[in-house]
Amino acid sequence: MNPESPISFTCLVKINSGDRALENLPMELSGFDAARPLIITGKDAADRKALRTLIRAFGDSGMTFGLFDGVTDTTDLAVIDVLKRTCLEKDYDAIIALGGAEIVDAAKVLNVSLSLKVPDARKISAETPIRGRLRPLMVVLTAGATGLETSSVSRFEGMVFRSEYLAPNLVVIDPRLADMGDGKRIAESGLAALGRLVEAHISTDKNPFRDAYSFTAIRLIAENLKDAVAGHGGKKAATAVGNGVAMSGCVFSNTGAFLLHKLGQVVYDVRRIHPGLTMSMAMLDVLDLYRRRDGHDLAALFHPLAGDEEFALSRPEDRVDGALSLLRRLIADVRDAMGKDTPRNLREAGVPWYMMEDVLERLEADPDGPYLRPLAERMWGEEPSHLKKGQPT
Amino acid sequence: MIVPDYYEFCCRVKLLAGHDALERMADVLAERGIKKPLIVTDKGVAGAGLIDIVSKALSVSLNAHLVADTVPPDSDLRVVNELAAFYRDEGCDAVIAVGGGSVMDTAKGINIIVSENAADLMAFSGVGALKRPLKPMVAVPTTAGTGSEVTQVAVIKDHERHLKMAFGSYFLLPDMAVLDSRMTLTVPPFITAMTGMDAISHAMEAYYCLQKNPLSDAHSLAALSLLYRNLPVVTETPGDREARLEMAVGACLAGIAFSNSMVGMVHNLGHATGSVCGVPHGLCMAIFLPYGLEYNMHKRGDIMGELLLPLAGEAEYRETPREQRAKKVVSLVRRMNSKLNELTGGRHARCLREVVDRDGVPMVPREVLPEIARAALLDGASVYNPEEADYDDNVMVLEAAWEGEPLDRGKVKGG
Amino acid sequence: MELVRDVQAGKKPFKRAYVGIFLWFTGKAVQAAARSDEQVKREFDALPDDFAFSMGCLPNGPWMVVGKEEGAVKYLGGNPEGRHQHLRLKIKNLEAAFLILTFQESTAMATVRNRIITDGELPHALAVMRVLDIVEVYLLPRRIAKLAVKRYPRWPLKRKLFGRFAVYTRTLLGF
Ligand SMILES: [Fe+2]
Repeated sequence: MNPESPISFTCLVKINSGDRALENLPMELSGFDAARPLIITGKDAADRKALRTLIRAFGDSGMTFGLFDGVTDTTDLAVIDVLKRTCLEKDYDAIIALGGAEIVDAAKVLNVSLSLKVPDARKISAETPIRGRLRPLMVVLTAGATGLETSSVSRFEGMVFRSEYLAPNLVVIDPRLADMGDGKRIAESGLAALGRLVEAHISTDKNPFRDAYSFTAIRLIAENLKDAVAGHGGKKAATAVGNGVAMSGCVFSNTGAFLLHKLGQVVYDVRRIHPGLTMSMAMLDVLDLYRRRDGHDLAALFHPLAGDEEFALSRPEDRVDGALSLLRRLIADVRDAMGKDTPRNLREAGVPWYMMEDVLERLEADPDGPYLRPLAERMWGEEPSHLKKGQPT
Repeated sequence: MIVPDYYEFCCRVKLLAGHDALERMADVLAERGIKKPLIVTDKGVAGAGLIDIVSKALSVSLNAHLVADTVPPDSDLRVVNELAAFYRDEGCDAVIAVGGGSVMDTAKGINIIVSENAADLMAFSGVGALKRPLKPMVAVPTTAGTGSEVTQVAVIKDHERHLKMAFGSYFLLPDMAVLDSRMTLTVPPFITAMTGMDAISHAMEAYYCLQKNPLSDAHSLAALSLLYRNLPVVTETPGDREARLEMAVGACLAGIAFSNSMVGMVHNLGHATGSVCGVPHGLCMAIFLPYGLEYNMHKRGDIMGELLLPLAGEAEYRETPREQRAKKVVSLVRRMNSKLNELTGGRHARCLREVVDRDGVPMVPREVLPEIARAALLDGASVYNPEEADYDDNVMVLEAAWEGEPLDRGKVKGG
Repeated sequence: MELVRDVQAGKKPFKRAYVGIFLWFTGKAVQAAARSDEQVKREFDALPDDFAFSMGCLPNGPWMVVGKEEGAVKYLGGNPEGRHQHLRLKIKNLEAAFLILTFQESTAMATVRNRIITDGELPHALAVMRVLDIVEVYLLPRRIAKLAVKRYPRWPLKRKLFGRFAVYTRTLLGF
């Protein structure tokens, strides 16, 4: 704890996790005096399956709700504006976002436009001030999560909205949706969360409140991710990972964006590769970099990764190496469990060089550019010297 | 890490901590457009000069604020109504509660009335009667222990109608909890010691009782490593700012843990002893904590053993065989009580027969133990205790705690 | 085409019926146990003369109400409206009620798992929970009841056998 700089921590998200968590939604809504939610989700197969489960969970509640199942990665403010007007016309009094980051990002922006009563949602931007509580927003997590669903951030149409009030009021982690038999999605979700958690847990602005979340989440992911991906742990392991993913967003709301997160995000923006995959390629390199910079407490990772017994047995001076080797093994195991064809670098992941140039250009514009560029070059899979000549392949 | 079949966790409170957290609080209030907050407190807190510090911090960022220091030691509906009227008449737009449990409860009561435009507070009592966010409320605790800055309940007494109204809702969580070392610097050693033990009991009961979950666990562990290390320090050296701040943070972490995981037998017996004999809550916690651990050990021994790590550190954890760890935890708690007893010149009682009032008269005569045991059956904390405790069980534990003898664990009826 | 369409939540008639029947059954069993079991009798004696409690499902029921009328404990039907209840045990949803009433979870355990909202004074809630625990021990085979209650009681054989018979017959035949 560094008492000279005051500690600040906020997590507005309530967590409901476990058996029949979905069935509590009507009750949670009525706790906010809401009875007509609008459900927002996407169109892919997993979202549809999740939607059926969600609707069944509302059984016997007598509720009528609106359904918009058309969120895609091209959903724009014009759609938000139509949704906003529909909500006002039809009196929807809460939003339930079902699915991964894009869906939740859209839901957060819709909530802003509704709560701030902006006449034209097409006019809102990252500069729009969000200074007070918004209307009720609940997120139902699926295996398609990236971890940012529970955060106070929304990325929409290239804009980044940030306000603690953007975070949902509730996140629901239900075993039926945490594990839908798709190990790859669980892996990506868990790795993205792990990347951001690791960066937060070693960062220079640590505090005990945030650490409680990051410690728990790292431990849950370290203990369960491999089994959940391989399908060994059943719904229990996948739910535990879902918990870690949800907590990672709460942690992220209370940190800045760090190197790994930025790498994952930029590659996603350019090529729509899941940030979890990107982060798993770069995590050890990034940690190596932090190790050489001052003030990063890499040793703090050892306890949540290794557990109490190993931690008590270890010598303090061995903990950094220990943590790195545990992390290396965890990532390798998870990638193994994902399957042989899991790309090892961005080139294998299908990022052609001309796109990589776009990635590098965007990274260069970042204040951390000098660090990010060489990391990204290594991630592509060639020696940096070769790449610097800019040979197209 | 144990993930229960189902759990809920919520602490929608902005947490600020530091040696100048109050100034930061003032900034945040200004950012949120607050213009005229009402400070609610009691005469003791104001008399100790703490309101002057809060006022000064506020006036840097805000042009106006008001102070009401009429909160009685026991929350009172009449005062709640008076202060709510004052809030309305003066056009206030936020409540800042500076003090202990009664001040927090009063502030919550005021906030319900002014937010809901309520004529009768009773209409909002019970669980879940509040349906929307209230007006802004800030909690500034002046002891490190109760955790009431992060709880979602309030109890307000109607002394005229002899009623006790209880309120439970996430909307009763303060918007902000401000932990500033200046608020606890002048707490005398005896109070520091027992409120610190209250916090330790919150962290421990939250960790081994039935509603534990991964996040409450992490909060408990973090709390214990701060509290156990710093409690003797602040009792011995009240002016140690760093240690005071770590205690405040530790107590808050423990508060978050128990308001999401609940407490058990220790609080159960403690509430009963408090209501029958008037023994301060913290002192009851200090005395009963070892017994709560012993009584439940046959069911939760492994889990209790995990607490040794934050209490004693890696070396002692490593060197203690697994099956001895829970017992070691109990002995460390007893050792802490002895140490606090020493540091407070004997005022921190180690067992019930040592508890005396101002005039040195014993507060818990042995004859009242059956009455306490009966009263404990009416307390809700028992639901979350791992082992059932009936009247006879309570008497057995109370007798041991009266003498200050370790519990004969062979006599605990296993379920 | 409309961007947003309205969806009506489905129905769960089977589960609803089950829960309704078992709430009725539990209500009747409490009434029966209050006549034949000493401890249950004592618990109710300690409660106010006009004491009534309800247990049921949010948001739309079903419910059951049990209360004291002229000194006797009675099942008072399935409608919680229009009568003061000292205590309401509100189960958060039908699925949770199904878990509790199929005795996969005791009322105490369901409380620990946040499935029940107890609205009312704590001593009342605790007394009712103790009564429900005892009723569960009567109604269920030992193997199942052991899962449901924290500490399975060591009752004398007479209380167990005779008591169970009495509670069952009184529940079903309604005397
Ligand atoms: Fe306490």
